Amino acid sequence: MAKINRKKINDFLINNGVIIVMFVLVIYTGFTSDNFFTSNNLMNILMNISARLVIALGIAGCVITAGCDLSAGRMIGFGGCIAGTLLQKMDYSNKFFPDMEPLNPLLAMVIVMLICAFFGTITGFFIAYLSVPPFIATLAMMEIVYGISMIYTKATPLGGYVKAYTDIGSGKFLGINYLIWIAIIVAAITWFIFNMTRHGKYMYAIGGNTQAAEVAGVPVKLTLILIYMKAAAMYGLAGFMLGAKSGGASVQLGYGYEMEAIAACTIGGVSVTGGRGRVSSAVIGVTVFELLKVALQYLGVDANAQYIAIGIVIFVAISLDIRKYIARK
Amino acid sequence: MQANEFFEVAGIPLLLFVVLVYYGVRLWMVKDVTIVRGKNKPPVKDETMYAKWASALILFLAFAALIMAFLLFINAYAALGEFVGATLIMGFLWRRMDQKYGG
Repeated sequence: MAKINRKKINDFLINNGVIIVMFVLVIYTGFTSDNFFTSNNLMNILMNISARLVIALGIAGCVITAGCDLSAGRMIGFGGCIAGTLLQKMDYSNKFFPDMEPLNPLLAMVIVMLICAFFGTITGFFIAYLSVPPFIATLAMMEIVYGISMIYTKATPLGGYVKAYTDIGSGKFLGINYLIWIAIIVAAITWFIFNMTRHGKYMYAIGGNTQAAEVAGVPVKLTLILIYMKAAAMYGLAGFMLGAKSGGASVQLGYGYEMEAIAACTIGGVSVTGGRGRVSSAVIGVTVFELLKVALQYLGVDANAQYIAIGIVIFVAISLDIRKYIARK
Repeated sequence: MQANEFFEVAGIPLLLFVVLVYYGVRLWMVKDVTIVRGKNKPPVKDETMYAKWASALILFLAFAALIMAFLLFINAYAALGEFVGATLIMGFLWRRMDQKYGG
């Protein structure tokens, strides 16, 4: 009995080792820094988490099917740029469309999501119908979206947004920033899709065993296209949110975010080998990852050393995930 | 032109080139198709030919990315057109290769 309990404790420590170490680091930072456990800092962290959570939830769907989406970062930049061009003030000197009235921010958000979803559909088509491996298809889409962004914006940074748009990044409802509300709504919708719909069940079936899913009558191709379409729409939304938060955008917006999102998903428990992962995994992963970054900043760790620390965390998290996969087999 | 400016424009295509060359050459050398197919897919009919064609197609896309990196400084439309064309060709050839040698 004692042996079984010890094994359970060992497994728990190994499976959640990264989270435990980071949690200890955060507690240590909180007690050694004056401003870490303050409501302002907490709100800042939550605002940083919000856009990243939306990205991670998009990527989580792809990772659950044993895929990945490396086009996320470029798609975020593209989404941010489209939103920026549609929401500039009329009197802004460098207005992208000088004669066009700024749109309603909600309408602009829907347009951004639809355009990104279109590109996600193409990625899904390449993966599902042409059998191109996800990492190659999404790398190619990353490049295509980057080229389109360069042409669309002429590689110039955008700014001069209408107040209604920047208010989304700074305004509050019930004392909580709008960006956080958006992330909560997206997480709730994603939870519903993952757990309550047939599409969600198909997604886990494909990730578990594609062949078996196909034999069982799962529309594998259509499900894959929908997953990549949905993910791209979320990247567009994240680009829209980041543009609202920073008050500007360029094609470089969101650079490297896809790697952080994949890492956050893995830390939280979304398996890179497919078939496993929940919305809570993405939430935990993104939160822990963001807290780690903030804690390292508070501890005065050199910016370059922070990359090394984050890289080590990703390496350990993925190694533990592979270990879990081998143990299951 | 400064190195910073060069990498700001061509950095992403060059990164893509490096990643694809790595995968293409690795596949060519070790002939392990799970590098691109993953472990959940059924075994392929002819592993050697699959690995050979898959690596050739990946390297084809890698060189398309390299050309795009330089075309971006001349004409962005030409760069985009070149890469979209290469991706479409790669996609359809991949489908044919998968049907012929895949599972």
